[in-house]
This record gives sequence, C-alpha cells and structure tokens, in this order.
Amino acid sequence: MAAENSKQFWKRSAKLPGSIQPVYGAQHPPLDPRLTKNFIKERSKVSTVPLKNKKASSFHEFARNTSDAWDIGDDEEEDFSSPAFQTLNSKVALATAAQVLENHSKLRVKPERSQSTTSDVPASYKVIKSSSDAQLSRNSSDSCLRNPLHKQQSLPLRPVIPLVARISDQNASGAPPMTVREKTRLEKFRQLLSSHNTDLDELRKCSWPGVPREVRPVTWRLLSGYLPANTERRKLTLQRKREEYFGFIEQYYDSRNEEHHQDTYRQIHIDIPRTNPLIPLFQQPLVQEIFERILFIWAIRHPASGYVQGINDLVTPFFVVFLSEYVEEDVENFDVTNLSQDMLRSIEADSFWCMSKLLDGIQDNYTFAQPGIQKKVKALEELVSRIDEQVHNHFRRYEVEYLQFAFRWMNNLLMRELPLRCTIRLWDTYQGLLMLLQNLPTIHWGNEEIGLLLAEAYRLKYMFADAPNHYRR
Amino acid sequence: MDEDVLTTLRILIIGESGVGKSSLLLRFTDDTFDPELAATIGVDFKVKTISVDGNKAKLAIWDTAGQERFRTLTPSYYRGAQGVILVYDVTRRDTFVKLDNWLNELETYCTRNDIVNMLVGNKIDKENREVDRNEGLKFAGKHSMLFIEESAKTCDGVQCAFEELVEKIIQTPGLWKSENQNKGVKLTHREEGQGGRACGGYCSVL
Repeated sequence: MAAENSKQFWKRSAKLPGSIQPVYGAQHPPLDPRLTKNFIKERSKVSTVPLKNKKASSFHEFARNTSDAWDIGDDEEEDFSSPAFQTLNSKVALATAAQVLENHSKLRVKPERSQSTTSDVPASYKVIKSSSDAQLSRNSSDSCLRNPLHKQQSLPLRPVIPLVARISDQNASGAPPMTVREKTRLEKFRQLLSSHNTDLDELRKCSWPGVPREVRPVTWRLLSGYLPANTERRKLTLQRKREEYFGFIEQYYDSRNEEHHQDTYRQIHIDIPRTNPLIPLFQQPLVQEIFERILFIWAIRHPASGYVQGINDLVTPFFVVFLSEYVEEDVENFDVTNLSQDMLRSIEADSFWCMSKLLDGIQDNYTFAQPGIQKKVKALEELVSRIDEQVHNHFRRYEVEYLQFAFRWMNNLLMRELPLRCTIRLWDTYQGLLMLLQNLPTIHWGNEEIGLLLAEAYRLKYMFADAPNHYRR
Repeated sequence: MDEDVLTTLRILIIGESGVGKSSLLLRFTDDTFDPELAATIGVDFKVKTISVDGNKAKLAIWDTAGQERFRTLTPSYYRGAQGVILVYDVTRRDTFVKLDNWLNELETYCTRNDIVNMLVGNKIDKENREVDRNEGLKFAGKHSMLFIEESAKTCDGVQCAFEELVEKIIQTPGLWKSENQNKGVKLTHREEGQGGRACGGYCSVL
C-alpha cells in the first residue's frame, strides 16, 4: 500500500521542480518505468554520442537550478502517502516554481562577494561554538553563521562550478532571505533538537526531504546514533567520545609503521592525495593528515574488512558537514589553518564516529569477497529486470554485467556518481533510513501489528513471486 | 565504422595499487594525464580502435583496481582476455617485488595458454628510480613477456606499448581467429620476428 501511494505521489508531482530527476528519488520509490522508457528512447536515437557527459552536465544544471526546491513541499510533507500531500495542486507547484525562479534571478544579480573580508571578521569568530553545544542559544549561533570566516587564504580558485559551496538547500549568506516556509522548517528542526528528549522518529521524517544546513551537523550526529536523544547527555557524550577517539590515536597511531599494519597504512597513504582530487580543501596537509588518522584507526579496529578503497570517500561528507559548523560558505576553498586546534579535533573525532556508525551497518560491503555489494548488485539486477525488462535485456544482449557498472555505485554509496553537495543532500535521507533500519519501531508491537505485517507480506509475495509479470507491460 | 575492423581484442590491465594503470590507459585512449586520478573501484572499461600493420583492431580494455580486496572480482575479466598488461612503478620496488603474485593470478585465471603478456614499467619520468631497466627486462625474459618502460605523464612509450601488444596478438591467430571466422577479412601477414620495428629504443622480449 505504502509503496503504491508513494509511487502515486511521485507521478502526481512530476511537475514539481526537484521531483522529475530519477537520481533524487533513487532510494525510494523505485525508478518510474515511464522515465526510464523515455531515457531508452533518447538513448537509442543518439546511441553513439558520449551520453555520459551529456547526462552529467544536464543533471548538474538541474541540481543547481532546483536545489532549493526541496523545501517546497507542504510542511507536513513527511508523510508522503497522506492524502493531503497528494492533493498538492498545480497552483502550489506553479507558485513555488515562480518563487524558485525569482530567488535565482536575485542570486544572479547579486555581485560576487569580495575576497577581502578578512579584516571584517572579528577575531571572536574564530571561537564559534560548535552548534551541538550552541544549539540552545540559537541567536548567537545564527549570527555566527551569518559572519563566516571564509576565504582568508589564497588557495587557487577552481574555475568550475563549486561542488560544495552550495551544499545548503537554502540560503547561505548572499542568498535571498529565507522564505516563510524555510523558516518554519528550520524552526521545526530547532524545536525537535532542543526538546528535552529529541523525537528521533520525527527528526528522521523531517530529514527525508533534506536538512537545513544550519542544523545539519547536529541532525546527522543524532540520526547516525552518535549522539543521544537526551539533550542533557549530549554534551557529555560528545566530550567523552572525542576523548575516546584521541585515546585511540595515542594508543594505536604509532603502529602504522609496524610491519603488520604497513600495508594498510601504505594503501591509505596512497589514496588520500587522490581523494576528491579536484577540491582544494582536500589537498591541504592538515586535512590529509586528519583523513589518514580517521581511516587508519577505523581500519585497525575493524580487521575483518580493514581499509578498502572507497571508504576514504565516505569520510568526506561528514568532514564537510562538521566543518560547515565553523565555515559558512566556500568550504571547498577554505584554509583549515584558520581553525583552532580544538575545532579541528572536534571535526575529526565527530567525522570518525559518524563514519563508524555508517559503516557498522554496511560492513559486509568491505569484508572478503564483499558479499554485501554482491547482494545489493544482485538485488538491483532483480529490480531492473522487474521494472524495466527492456533495459535488462539490452544489458544481456551486449553481455553487460551489473557488477561491471554498479559495483562502484554500491562500494562508494554513489559518491563517485554525484557532486559532493548532492551526496550530502542524499545522506540527509540515508541517515534517516539508517536510523529506521537499525531501530525499527517495533517495540510496542502486538499480535495485531504482526498480523498486519504478515498480510502485507502475503500481498507482496502474491504480487511479485507469484506474478512476476506484475510490473511488465 | 566497425566494418573494417579486423577483430575485437580484450585487454586486461593489472598491477599493484597506485602504479599508474588508469593513467596509462587514459593516456592511451584520451591522451590526457591527471597526477591525482581517483582510485579505481572494481573495474573501469575503455574502448579504442588502433591500426597495426594496416590491420584495425578494436580494443576493449579492462582497467582493474589494484587493491587486494577487489581481486575476487577479476577472475571473470581474465576469462577470454587475449592480452594482459602487467604494470609496476619503477620508483617503487615493492610494486616490482609483487609481480610474482600477479603472475600467479594470471596463471590461475587465464583460460588460454597462448595469451600475450606484457610487462610495463611506468613513471620513468621520475628521478627516484628504484628498479633498474635491466631487472625489468630480465624478469620479462624469464616469464616470456613483452617488456617496455614508459611514462604515462610524458607519453613516452605509451602508444608503443599497446601497438606491440596488439601486433603480437595478431601474429598469434589462434588467439582471435576462431571468434571472427565470419568476418572474411584476410590478415596481411608480415614477416614475423621483427620485434622492435615500430618502437625504436625499446625492445621486446619473447
């Protein structure tokens, strides 16, 4: 039922900016067969054209133009299947589209920010409290965020579209003021985050359509299971966990040159300079050292998998998000020597723990023979064969195996396939999913719920296993 | 068009992590070089048509990840390959020392015994060389491989490496003919045993 409804939703809202691109909905619901059909048609017309580039640029363009459309939905939009949401009429869609366009035209007119803001930044901004601590004193954290320390350095600027600078779904400074809706959404997050015991289930629902950047770091810490829901315990937990991490460093990091860890360290050392090679932030020695420590410690604490290429990519979103607590914009060109030792240590430890939490759920992706990935690729194949036989047969005819292209998708959680800022947005939703899957809301279940579940299971079994043609035309 | 292509050859590139497998491939197919190319995950794939001795061959080249963990993926790529390029980094002795492991891998997974193997020493533009050219030559000779040193960065020797490999494969009709019997294209055979013809300065060892 739920699946059907949400499918309806995506169909209905095809006119909504932000909903027509299959990439955004990649996790849920499954690909709309109609979209892929069109895609195939186009593809066969221009089969020899380097499709990859064309796709990439149009997606890029699309993402740029609609990244602020995520908050358009109704404020109660968490429940996609609710009838209210489905009746979202075209008037609303048009109005929002107009709003988006207007915002963007304003953005374009806005002159480039000057690079000489260094002297305007009071020294006190160097000690912005991490928002996890500052969460309760909203106003102060607000003003801090509006006055970022940025571009205090002369790292070479990349002439291409920034990958990370616009990680925000909504306004960074320099963007037009928040819409009422954005404000309400942010307010809702703040309420949830500051209540004595944060309702994680509610937070997860709110995060599905994207987390406002102001509250993203705290939200991620909570949804990954790193921080406790109880506000009072958070500060202590943070402190304890950060100390624990640096305890590991003290205890283990010197062993990187010992014989039994040499291969691990060497592999990490080779991979770090080529992690996000196009983004200047990651070319800084301090940042590279942080990555090396995080990865090495994780690797030796998880000997069943150890360090596997691709895990290095997975640290990046966490690092950028936790760094963004101290830097308002242009994260990718930010010189981290502008941050205090303490700030850097917090970012490092938090990135480590959140990455660990993420990997806890998918460790079999990286153990011998990578069974997790094999299973997921198999599932993908199964899914495609069900929902788009044409594509599936096309692959078969040309002897294309799913592993040949989808392996990396799974191994790097699509990070190589999307610009970093899109990955971050995507992970707003992942974190929620992860949270759901690791903490299924089944504690209070009784016979009635089990009965319902079994009925649903039976229906699905009937639909898929007994009638494999269900999705075919 | 594909019509005048004599045959399609499957080439596999293997070797330790960071020796420059992807760089070698990118230099050959796209004539570009990036000093910090992201690590290959699983396998990458490129196609390029080249002409050797007036014969056009379409190369389907599989570029594998060097890290051990991904090695469970590769057996299927060895199957049906006509040529294998085994790369090491002349500035890192460890990548040379591990060549034996890669040969084991080759022997285990290759389905045919007349497959053409080529040993390639990469990064000769760098100054901190740790593996002497003669060592490479000797190793290649001992294991009946073609041998070449090159630099993906400066382009030195790259084209040559692929040409020699393809030439050798074409000279071994058993490797590719059976699959292309219906093509009706006659191979213009040159006198064999003229190694080094195209690649002055480099020598190939059989």
